[in-house]
Amino acid sequence: MGFLAPWFLAGALAVGIPVYLHLLRRHTTTPQLFSSLMFLEHRTQSSIRHRRLRYLLLLSLRMALLVLLALAFAGLYVNRPVASASGDKLLLLAIDNSFSMRAGSRLADAKREALSVLGDRNPAQRGQVLAFGSQVNVLTQPVVDAAALRAAVESVAPGDSRGTLGELAHAVRSIAQNVRAPIELHVFSDMQKSDMPANFAELALPEGVSLALHPVVKGTVPNWAVESVNAPGEVWEPKKARVQAVIAGYGTPAATRSVTLMVNGKTIATRSVAIPASGRASVEFQSLEVPYGFSRCEVRIDSADALRADDAYAFAVGRFDPQRVLFVHDASDTRSSVYFISALAAAAESAFAVDSVTTERAVNTQLSPYAFVVLSDVASLPSSFENDLLRYVRGGGGALVAAGTSSARRSRIPVFGESVLEPHYYSREAERFMAVGETDSSFAPAEKAAQWAGVRFYYAVGVDAANSRVIARLTDQTPLLLDKKIGEGRVLLLASGLDNLTNDFPLHPIFVPFVEQSARYLSGTERRGGSRAVDSFLDLRTAKEQAVSVEVIDPAGRRPLSLKEATSTSSYQLTQAGFYELHLANGRQDVVGVNADRRESDLAVIPDDVLSLWTGKPSEKPSAVSSTGPETTHPAVVPRSLWWYVMLLVLAAAVAESLLASRYLGVHREEE
Amino acid sequence: MQRFLDPAVLGAISGLDLVAKTVVDGFVAGLHRSPDFGFSQEFAEYRAYSPGDDLRHVDWNVFARTERAYLKRYRGETNSLLTVLLDASNSMNYTSHGVSKMDYARFTAASLFYLAIRDQRDAAGLIVFDDEVRNYIRPSTRQGQLHRLLSGLEMAEPRARTDFAKPLHHFQEFLRRRGIVLILSDFYESPEKIIRTIEPLRFHGNEVVLFHILDPKEIRPDLGEPVVLVDLETRERLEVTPEYMRTEYRGKIDAHIAALRDGARSAGMDYHLLVTDQPLDGALREYLTIRQGRN
Repeated sequence: MGFLAPWFLAGALAVGIPVYLHLLRRHTTTPQLFSSLMFLEHRTQSSIRHRRLRYLLLLSLRMALLVLLALAFAGLYVNRPVASASGDKLLLLAIDNSFSMRAGSRLADAKREALSVLGDRNPAQRGQVLAFGSQVNVLTQPVVDAAALRAAVESVAPGDSRGTLGELAHAVRSIAQNVRAPIELHVFSDMQKSDMPANFAELALPEGVSLALHPVVKGTVPNWAVESVNAPGEVWEPKKARVQAVIAGYGTPAATRSVTLMVNGKTIATRSVAIPASGRASVEFQSLEVPYGFSRCEVRIDSADALRADDAYAFAVGRFDPQRVLFVHDASDTRSSVYFISALAAAAESAFAVDSVTTERAVNTQLSPYAFVVLSDVASLPSSFENDLLRYVRGGGGALVAAGTSSARRSRIPVFGESVLEPHYYSREAERFMAVGETDSSFAPAEKAAQWAGVRFYYAVGVDAANSRVIARLTDQTPLLLDKKIGEGRVLLLASGLDNLTNDFPLHPIFVPFVEQSARYLSGTERRGGSRAVDSFLDLRTAKEQAVSVEVIDPAGRRPLSLKEATSTSSYQLTQAGFYELHLANGRQDVVGVNADRRESDLAVIPDDVLSLWTGKPSEKPSAVSSTGPETTHPAVVPRSLWWYVMLLVLAAAVAESLLASRYLGVHREEE
Repeated sequence: MQRFLDPAVLGAISGLDLVAKTVVDGFVAGLHRSPDFGFSQEFAEYRAYSPGDDLRHVDWNVFARTERAYLKRYRGETNSLLTVLLDASNSMNYTSHGVSKMDYARFTAASLFYLAIRDQRDAAGLIVFDDEVRNYIRPSTRQGQLHRLLSGLEMAEPRARTDFAKPLHHFQEFLRRRGIVLILSDFYESPEKIIRTIEPLRFHGNEVVLFHILDPKEIRPDLGEPVVLVDLETRERLEVTPEYMRTEYRGKIDAHIAALRDGARSAGMDYHLLVTDQPLDGALREYLTIRQGRN
């Protein structure tokens, strides 16, 4: 018997409160004069005595209530022998099916070991089978059926996720809490070093759990792996695209490996790279010749080691034509287009091709081929072009309007449609310039709010922002960046110029991501292709795209989402290595290459002393414990919390106290 | 005028004579009768003349109209003798509001004296007692009698305990002449003993009225919590609980009042309960009713 939080017992001192109220405070009554006690004789005395007794009952109930509350908070528990807690031991078999178990015959060895342990089991003993990687899969409930247990062991398939012993310990703690019986835990794993949690305490097992480790390998095995690949997800000019790969050796001698770039199963290029002992080397492919559409690419090495699954690194590349952007400016303005085009070229890797035209030449331009249109501080816009542009935006197009000093002469911002209030020439005022005061970081073009800090705005035009969303304001609260939905399309308004005259915005690093994000926002394109890690999540839809069906095709060609999930789920966890094909809610198609976590490629095993520490056995090698039964026996008692019972008593005492108190003290209220 | 009969209002008036005047004037005005009520002789009936009757009483106007002689008869006016027995024991000191039972008794007695002497030309006297007779002012209609009575009331400060038995034989001596005897007390004694003690006064032909003066909180006590009560006369202490006071005590005091009222009436005496938060006209009305009945 003990307390989990004995300090809460100090709360029992509160019993002094009812004692004071009942016994001490009661006797401080001031005597009152009365005409005659003629009618207050013996009956009165007995009444008081009776009442005192009843008050004592109430007092004891209140004291009991406080003491019980203190006990409940202090976590009263009793130690119960494990054997008597609930019947027999549970045989818990945990088989590691993480990515590293694909090396050699590790998984098969682990399953064979597990079946051997099952064979030695007392037929009446309950068993349960788990498979663990990054998550723990419960393959059976606690059963005595040997066939079911064997089938569960045999059904364990190799996975691509990362093994984590911390997750296993967490799951065992949960199981121990539920089964309330002693557990005999057998872990069949390669005891990979990277499986250890950052904090050793996460491996703690509850009392009553005996642990037996069954390592399937004796020591570290050398392994080469393609650690990472840096390749663009989308390509517009294949000759400019480059692929960089890092080849790593874990516990390996210095060697030369052949690295191959494959596109859709065909070898494109091969390089040789010298990898130092247990080191890394990078290799670069100068071009990425891929056909239009998505291509499934791989960087592969010719290592002949035990773990072949990490000898290839998958990534997807999409090839598309660059999108066209129309940049309209005044004939006198040659600066803004230079800044904008340079920024867009630097940021979006030529995903956009900019056609820069003056307002006069823009009149007869067909707008439909353009992803979006930029109006850079135009003094006058031919009405026919403005009407075409407005129609284009209403039909789903995008426009970026920069309102420089020319806008001050207009009463209304073209396309954006809002009236011009007043221009602010900060350079003529005492402040000389104005900085960005607040930004709406939920909006992609203003995402990196901190980087706006040093930008100076010498001029900004005041615009009626009643019908638009203000994304950024200057420190004098003048709206700087506004977003407005017109029909199906969107218009972004920058209430200053892009020309480095009305501000120094184009000279700041933030200008490049601003232009890129604005371009992507207005054109409606997102990054596609590339590679991801197993166990990462993919966003399938945005908040606005509810009830639109999405489709996921996994590397095995199956559709893992049910029809209901396809219309409702917003993200999907990638559980297998290979290529996933996605049909997203916005109608776009995407392909991503998924690779196992490369920490699994390091096949170094956990040192024996650490394993001994975990098992609680301070002696020799844990490998010797294999199939010899439980080595660790924690004290054969389990604490059984009495919290539930104490709270029941608290409830009963509270009800009784309420009834008594209302009966004794509430009498005079019902009178009169 | 009713508000001038309110004890709380009277409590703010300093002199008893002014209190008495205020009460009586207010009371009389409330009767809608002449302020000279009862003073002049009142017509009662006509009676046929019979030989030997005093011819002065013949109504000659009637004779002129009917040629028959009728005597005009008047209700005779006799002076009554009013004696007020005032209990000045300590228990009369109790109050739960501005006016104690003793104050109320004083106001009542003063008003009765004023009404009797000034309005009715009655002789009035006062006996102040607790466990013995403390003051006796012989009934009289002499000049300055009202002043003496009011002074006697002023000096009647409560002390000691009530004991009817002991001063009784003194009452017998004082009350030789028949008249109206009004006893103002809270009657904290067993009803049988009170009646047994007071009953002999009735044998002399006195009209005896018990004015039972109680504080409203004595009838309906209202305690919020258990308290220690101290007896004003015996200084005895007793802890009582609110529910006892609300249940058993009320039953007992109600039974006591009922027993006293029934006992008094069965002994040929009148009983009147005066609660100190009620106007004083009840006592005056009772007195006038009795006096009228005697005539």
